[in-house]
Amino acid sequence: MIPYHICVLGLMGAAFILQQFVPAVGGLYDARILLVPLVFLCSAVTVNVPPMLFLAFFCGFMWDAQHLLGSHGGAEDVYTNKVETMPFGYSIVLYAAMGFLMQGIQPLFREGKWHVSALLTGVAIFCYLFAEYFIITFVRGDLVVTRSLALKTGFSALLTMVFSPLVFWVLFKCAALFRYKVRYEGLKSRRRLIVSE
Amino acid sequence: MKPLNLLALLLFLAGTVYVFTWSERTVRKIQETYYATISPFLKGGSKLELATRRFLKEVEHSEDLEKRLEVIELEFGKLRAIESQFRELERENRELRANLDFKERTRFDVVPARIIKRRPSTWLQSVTIDRGGKSGIGTQVPVLANGGLAGKVDQVFPNTDIATVILLTDESCQVSVQVAGTPEVGIVSGQRGAYGEEPRLRLRYLSKNAPIRPGMSVVTTGRGKLFPPNILVGTIESFEPGPVDSEALVKPSVDFVNLEIVFVISESGAPREGPLEE
Repeated sequence: MIPYHICVLGLMGAAFILQQFVPAVGGLYDARILLVPLVFLCSAVTVNVPPMLFLAFFCGFMWDAQHLLGSHGGAEDVYTNKVETMPFGYSIVLYAAMGFLMQGIQPLFREGKWHVSALLTGVAIFCYLFAEYFIITFVRGDLVVTRSLALKTGFSALLTMVFSPLVFWVLFKCAALFRYKVRYEGLKSRRRLIVSE
Repeated sequence: MKPLNLLALLLFLAGTVYVFTWSERTVRKIQETYYATISPFLKGGSKLELATRRFLKEVEHSEDLEKRLEVIELEFGKLRAIESQFRELERENRELRANLDFKERTRFDVVPARIIKRRPSTWLQSVTIDRGGKSGIGTQVPVLANGGLAGKVDQVFPNTDIATVILLTDESCQVSVQVAGTPEVGIVSGQRGAYGEEPRLRLRYLSKNAPIRPGMSVVTTGRGKLFPPNILVGTIESFEPGPVDSEALVKPSVDFVNLEIVFVISESGAPREGPLEE
């Protein structure tokens, strides 16, 4: 069990590095494959609540370390309406929320229906991006919702979702390697027992 | 809820609340450590991106040539292919010369830097450059490009050759500007929610009946301690009068889509004698 969790943590680290090589696609409204949230979401459905929360903390922490802006600077009398910066740590909460969303369909995943989880990763990424955008809007004021924003979010979710089977495949391989049981546990075996009784 | 899950949740919440209480200095330290760790990968990623872009340009170019080959002779086509390669070299040469020329004619002491990562974040218009604390770059200093103002340095990591630049097209990069030839001053910044389009800037807090026409130049005022005066920002594209104040859309003077090299004003910041870059 523990070797699998360490392996997942290693995969998260690799995702952070690989994310540096993934550019935004200009032709698709600057959409991008969000590798880190993808690996997190796929991993979240394969582990229990405590490791999921640990992963959420790790990912959110690293994500904010990479993306957060510094303070505005400049004289107060000239820049009277400074744009607010996001607080360090907000991504931790967002990742945990996404993680709980994925945990919600863990029974289906354990029945072997990983494709439902794959679809949900797309939905979760879409929700995550919109939530992040609305948090920024809430902090900075002025609600701006444009067509290009919706398309950027939609394309990012779609592009990311396409790669989820690959991540699940890697996770299944890791699970097999470390003899960690992700599938064929829980509801499915219990139902069989009920039927046989 | 299982006791173990409850305990994990409580620990998670405690950890998150603790992180929220961190000071900006602590956050900067963490970011510095993070960037120091990933800087080799950032540079590797940059090389890969550059190679991909070159390859795509080549593919695009080949398709263009194919169309031409339909109407001209084969031999002539081959010659055109060779010629086009020279053109590419010439274009690159011209671009580099323009950048070099920019450095020579600018009145500031600048440090040239290459962009190694574009838009690393989902919602921010920022870039990562290959110059940092080692090159004597400071935070909150203006960044210029061929054409005018490009943004400002957001974060510099002391022992690395990496810094992040927030571009003028981001809403958090606010610049105090003046419409040239008028007394009108305002704050220009990027627009939220505009993606995949040619970027436009939003100039706010202009007076209600400002005598502003499309095509007028917008330059920095030098007020607010961030940007020196008289740096070209862009040209007015449209003007929208409002009930209290007015706004204008500004077309930036810098080509942000093809931005590759930028110039960071060195920390001494003292302008040299000489003509303006615009």
